[in-house]
Amino acid sequence: MKKQVRSLEHHTQARLIPSYILIIGWVAFTFILIGWVIFASLSTSQEIFSDHMFGFESGFHFENYARAWKTQKVSLYFMNSVLYTAVSCSMIILISAPAAYVLSRFRFKGNLVIQNLIASALGIPAIMIVMPLFGLVSRMRLTNNRWLLIFLYIAMNVPFTTFFLLAFFKSLSTTYEEAAYIDGCSPMGTFWRIMFPLVQPGIITVTVFNFITIWNEYFMSMIFANKTQVRPVSVGLFNMIQAMRYTGDWGGMFASVVIVFMPTFLLYIFLSEQIIQGVTAGAIKG
Amino acid sequence: MIIVFLTPALICYVLVFLYPSIRTTIMSFFAVESVSDPVSTWQFHGLGNYAKLFHTAIFRQAMRNIANIWLVGGAGVMVVALFFAVSLTNGMKGVRFFRSIIYLPNVVSAIAMGTMWINYVYNSSYGFLHNVFASLGLQKLSETLWTGPGLLFWSMLVAYCFGMVGYHMLIFMASIEQIPKDYTEAAHIEGANALQRFFFITLPFLRGCFRTNIVMWTVFTVGFFVWGQLFSPVNLSNATVAPMNYMYEIVFGSSASTATVRDSGAGAAIGVIMMIIVIMAFAATNLIVKNDDVEL
Repeated sequence: MKKQVRSLEHHTQARLIPSYILIIGWVAFTFILIGWVIFASLSTSQEIFSDHMFGFESGFHFENYARAWKTQKVSLYFMNSVLYTAVSCSMIILISAPAAYVLSRFRFKGNLVIQNLIASALGIPAIMIVMPLFGLVSRMRLTNNRWLLIFLYIAMNVPFTTFFLLAFFKSLSTTYEEAAYIDGCSPMGTFWRIMFPLVQPGIITVTVFNFITIWNEYFMSMIFANKTQVRPVSVGLFNMIQAMRYTGDWGGMFASVVIVFMPTFLLYIFLSEQIIQGVTAGAIKG
Repeated sequence: MIIVFLTPALICYVLVFLYPSIRTTIMSFFAVESVSDPVSTWQFHGLGNYAKLFHTAIFRQAMRNIANIWLVGGAGVMVVALFFAVSLTNGMKGVRFFRSIIYLPNVVSAIAMGTMWINYVYNSSYGFLHNVFASLGLQKLSETLWTGPGLLFWSMLVAYCFGMVGYHMLIFMASIEQIPKDYTEAAHIEGANALQRFFFITLPFLRGCFRTNIVMWTVFTVGFFVWGQLFSPVNLSNATVAPMNYMYEIVFGSSASTATVRDSGAGAAIGVIMMIIVIMAFAATNLIVKNDDVEL
């Protein structure tokens, strides 16, 4: 019996050889792509253009990073993005978690309508909302305002986050609230002290998600932040790439690329399982 | 408590989704030059903005481009994603590792990914494709200008789709894992081969999942913007323009071309057309794929 199982296993593995070849090829290509940028970011411009870049004949050029960080204002964009993502990610949770809780727990008129509205926001393309927003903002003279950008990041991600957390609250048993009620805990207190901590896994997943979305957000940032001072990394990187094509500082350009993708990349290395579960949980219900 | 807990989220929704959507829809029926013009200067234009758009060559080209992205790119992405998902759920080793690497491009900024493709993979003197073809002795192929005028669109599409496969693969995988194992095992014992099991058991179970994937793919296609800008950074080009790039050009006017006239009314009409495409995709998949019998 055991032998038979093993032969079946061998059979399966043999049948999967074409899949292995394709998937390993795909994965290898991804590694080459990212590996190349990291190598290029440590080389001089001449080496990048030559065929023997991987030799590092002139050593590792970490000064590319220093140059990108200081003279190309990557530090400024990076700090802007850190501020934007940190503030918006926490605010999103403070706004979405209570809303998701109420929608999952209380029966009232319009509950379903609100749930559907929130779900519909996931399908509204940015192109549909950007013009009136820009009109409004420019009349209020709020373009290039950090707080406005943060507000936009928050508001644009609240529907998804609410939608995502709704499922988590629904899966919690109502006995927690009943027990808290009997012990004399107010509804507000029950939420903040008992229910909110219980959905922590969901909150972590969705926050990592929001972090990646906001860090990489490009379209809105490009329109609402066209001054260097307030630019986040995505817009900053695009402008740097365009500029460096002309200055010819390729090493510096690739160093900037690496600096910009590193935070989400590292986060993903440590939390990939959670992120992957988040993708499927968020999408399947939608 | 309901009101206190719900109000902030609703304010966000109304301010950033509801109000702008309604205003864009109304604006699309008016002649409006700049987005910040007050409503009093708007002039009713009926369906004029829409008519004008469909008479504009570059907009028609943009629609053709996203149609190609949706159909050709979509078919490619779905086939590859489904193939990977089926393989990875079929007893392969190292599933978690492969899965997370295939999804990786979704996590990295599109600007960074695009830069890697343009400056490395497609570079015709030291790039990846150049080196691969040169080492295979295919001198002619190795000298191809992948980002030259003839191939620009397809090169852009391949680079874009490469990153999208991971997302759709994850959705397929999650659904496949929810199919009760009994069915495939029973079929296996009855002598159904791998292809039969795939077509008669796995695929029918994935109807709901196809709906999700198609709707999401439509949403992504409608929002196609960054890649077009990356592959033609300075001016709109026929090969890479998408409706959103054209909208950006006529509403916010990129600095490079002063020739284009600002027309926010037409920009709003583009927004409405994109919205209609998403709604149509949603309705169509609801009609074709009845999701009531299998809730996955």
